[in-house]
Amino acid sequence: MLLALGLAALEGTAAQQRFSGSAWASLAEHRVDAGFGLERASGLVFGAAVSAHVGPRLELALRAQGGSLEASTAGAVDRDLGEIALATRVAAASFLSLQAEASRRVYSSAIARQAWTLVGVGAEVQVPFIEKAVRGLARAGFLPVVSVEGLHRPDLAFTAAAGLEYAAGAITLRALYSLERYDFPAQDAGRRPEQLSALTLQLSLAPARRR
Amino acid sequence: MKGFTIPLALLASLATHAAAQGSTAEILTQAHDLYERLDIERALPLLRQVVSPGWPFEVTAEQRVEAYTYLGACLALVGQRDSAVVYFRAALEREPFTDLDPRLFTPAQLELFSRARRLTFAVAARPVPSGRIDPRTERLTLTIVTTHSAALHVEIRPTAGFRGATLFDGEGDGLREFAWSGLLADGRLAPPGRYELLIAARSRLLGRVDSARVYFDLRHDPPPLEDTLPELMDADLLPEHLPASAATGDLLKGLGVAAGALLIAQVFASRDLGGTVPAGSGIIAGAATVTGTAAFLKLRRRPVLPENVAENGRRRAQRADSNAAIQRRNADRLAATGLIIAPAAGVGP
Repeated sequence: MLLALGLAALEGTAAQQRFSGSAWASLAEHRVDAGFGLERASGLVFGAAVSAHVGPRLELALRAQGGSLEASTAGAVDRDLGEIALATRVAAASFLSLQAEASRRVYSSAIARQAWTLVGVGAEVQVPFIEKAVRGLARAGFLPVVSVEGLHRPDLAFTAAAGLEYAAGAITLRALYSLERYDFPAQDAGRRPEQLSALTLQLSLAPARRR
Repeated sequence: MKGFTIPLALLASLATHAAAQGSTAEILTQAHDLYERLDIERALPLLRQVVSPGWPFEVTAEQRVEAYTYLGACLALVGQRDSAVVYFRAALEREPFTDLDPRLFTPAQLELFSRARRLTFAVAARPVPSGRIDPRTERLTLTIVTTHSAALHVEIRPTAGFRGATLFDGEGDGLREFAWSGLLADGRLAPPGRYELLIAARSRLLGRVDSARVYFDLRHDPPPLEDTLPELMDADLLPEHLPASAATGDLLKGLGVAAGALLIAQVFASRDLGGTVPAGSGIIAGAATVTGTAAFLKLRRRPVLPENVAENGRRRAQRADSNAAIQRRNADRLAATGLIIAPAAGVGP
């Protein structure tokens, strides 16, 4: 209820300012093998974003999300996840947008705190169904900059996502499965594969364009 | 003999003089002057010369009618009543508008002329006058005549054949004027074209019929009217029905998204982190499959695009509104249309 009220208020303002807002809840699962076997932790992550639309094609967004992931394998520990990101999106075509994002992520647990700095670029394809309110979407991104405290730069870092989007007026509901994969090179304890997957349900309010 | 000799000598003299003058108009002027001086004996030969088949000069219809009229008037003065009536009738047959001014002719002449009118039946109309009329405030005046009492029908009708307007249907006698508003029987403004003023009459005295026609051209002034918008063509409308491939396309889109979610979970995910497929990808894959299948079934069952149908309806309504507005503006312009009238020679140019 509070979320709805907040978004409604945001929409009222955004109608003047060309802002939009969104909020989401993700069921996230973190997997990592730091040389001591597979560690899995999962939990709910909540997030929100506000976007400024500059012209008909450019969008700037500030996002934040956070949540707690509960360990589900032996040897794993519970951890909290917090992230803030600045993203931009350019509509290259009606079905294609290009994205760039810089984010700071922190995993913290009872025994350690690890900060990540991520810079990535990617593209998102949206395919409308005949009922134009429904769209299928797929996203892929490359992370050329991944800086993690205590780790070397990963050999492989990318993101991918697929899902559906349903628009009704100014409201857009999006269901998305996403994956982030990082393959860190071998260090003392060997190679360190790590990934974060999430099933996200996102609600967005995109006010009409100002004339 | 002497009585003949003098006129013959006079006639010869006059003929010579006429030849010298060389024109019908001059002879008529001389005869008129002689008539005014009551020199009937000298006027009569001049007038007879003019109507004679042997007269060498051109005689216009008006001059011939004038000659007959004055012959009748002269003979009435000299007491040759029957002959006067004959000449008056000749004048009336050629020009039914012929009349005698009561201020210039004697009651006897007028009585004989009236007798000639009763014995002669003819109708005529004056040529339609050139000009421009505003149908809202002005009328076109048309003048017709019957030589005596008659059942009279006066009508204006297009030579193209469609229905015209009846100006009069009743009893008439002598000169009459009619005013025409420029409207036809259906109440619409007469369209441009050639028209005829038709007068048909049946004599109440003689039982004979006669008719006359006068033609005129009618044009609208000015106004050019707006064209209404043409019918919407296929290119102007959105497709209202989907092609057969659309349903399959939506199914493939749904399956594509599902495949994408599974691909991410199974192929892109690291195998070193366990092979189990996260539930999230299965949920998205299932939702996408259901969405695609539902869209497929719906489109197969009812391949109509309601948005396009609504949009096409809006476009059609917009066109209809535009055309209605154009028709209203055209009606306003037509209401202000002037009519330009010009006499014409016959049915066609």
